[in-house]
Amino acid sequence: MKKDNLKQFYKEFPSNPDARVKALKSILEKEGLIDQKALDEILDTYQNKVGPLNGAKIVAKAWANKKFKEDLINNTDQVLKDMDLNGRQGEHVVVVENTETIHNLIVCTLCSCYPWPLLGLPPSWYKSDAYRSRAVREPRAVLSDFNVKLPISKKVKVWDSTSEIRYLVLPQQPPSSNGLSENELVSWVTRDSMIGTGFPKPPIGE
Amino acid sequence: MSKAHDMGGRLDSRRIDITSSDVKFKADWEKEVFAITLALGFSSLWNLDRSRYARESLEPKDYLQFGYFEKWLAGLINLLGENGIINDGTESEDNFKKSSFRVLEAKNVKRLLHIGGPTKRDSTTEKNFNLGETVSVRANNSNTKIEKGHTRLPDYVKGRTGKVIAYHGSHVFPDANAHFLGESPEALYSIEFKSQDLWGKCEHVEDTVVVDLWESYLEKFK
Repeated sequence: MKKDNLKQFYKEFPSNPDARVKALKSILEKEGLIDQKALDEILDTYQNKVGPLNGAKIVAKAWANKKFKEDLINNTDQVLKDMDLNGRQGEHVVVVENTETIHNLIVCTLCSCYPWPLLGLPPSWYKSDAYRSRAVREPRAVLSDFNVKLPISKKVKVWDSTSEIRYLVLPQQPPSSNGLSENELVSWVTRDSMIGTGFPKPPIGE
Repeated sequence: MSKAHDMGGRLDSRRIDITSSDVKFKADWEKEVFAITLALGFSSLWNLDRSRYARESLEPKDYLQFGYFEKWLAGLINLLGENGIINDGTESEDNFKKSSFRVLEAKNVKRLLHIGGPTKRDSTTEKNFNLGETVSVRANNSNTKIEKGHTRLPDYVKGRTGKVIAYHGSHVFPDANAHFLGESPEALYSIEFKSQDLWGKCEHVEDTVVVDLWESYLEKFK
């Protein structure tokens, strides 16, 4: 059987990550392989432009509009494309709906796959060994770390993102938000409710 | 490839630390690693599966001790190393052809991030399993072509039985693509497993785990 000869070049670099990046960057700059303006643009995108607000808008729209919800679930990639919400790490998306009997929870046990265009970059806990290990084996214990308690009548369905399909949870709309406009609903949708580790809640101050 | 990264179901008594969860980058060097990794991802020297393989191939001790972006950084250095852009002192740099390197320019960032890297292919490949069908997962989850090679078949479902709940068309096959053996698209399915079938003891008999698995990971249920 063939072998792959990927070597551990990183061992030759400084062990302190700050110094390690500096050493790497100076090589790349010397070779002309990076453009600082492009790096700035990438950071600006994920620090300022892409975040959970994108996902929240979709969820609020789905709550307010039944037809949209059906389209979103059945024709996800086209709907996201039409809304300009597709992109890197969200090329193929599946929306999973929470119901009276099913609670969905998203994880990536092999790395930390996450729907970037809809939720931004993953929070630290999503990338932690503890979350990656435990979410598939004991989701209810994991949820209790988030202070989420589920009734015994609900089944937990954990989605392990092993392929390039990215998952977004469509949480149930809280009854106390019924009658609000789509715009008002956006602020009820939390990031965690779209991963399955939380529920939507009234915006702070209400 | 070590199995340090294949964490699903590993016994871990640590609580999930949900504090400071909104911090995207803990230090400036993490920002640099993030941006450089994404920019060089467009260089055409490697692909997403290769970069995952590079991270998984770090020494297990380092994989488990390094933070998220530290793994990215070490993986990136290894990728640049195998392309001759950096060297370990034992090899010359002449295998790097700068002419084949695409430098990402600021004006292209928005468009390229928007396109991303779709893995669904139009080709119709062999599809032996139907919605609702009970299937078995291969008992051995090693890469079949490369010794200790990349795979997206987690340890915790190997040899297990589940049900096909979705078919996603043909997708690039990571086990081949990570080693530059071509995209070799295969049918991709979502397979639902009962938690009690995976773990024996489970929290609730109704609970399930869904895993996306490619055609060649699966076998007919006997």
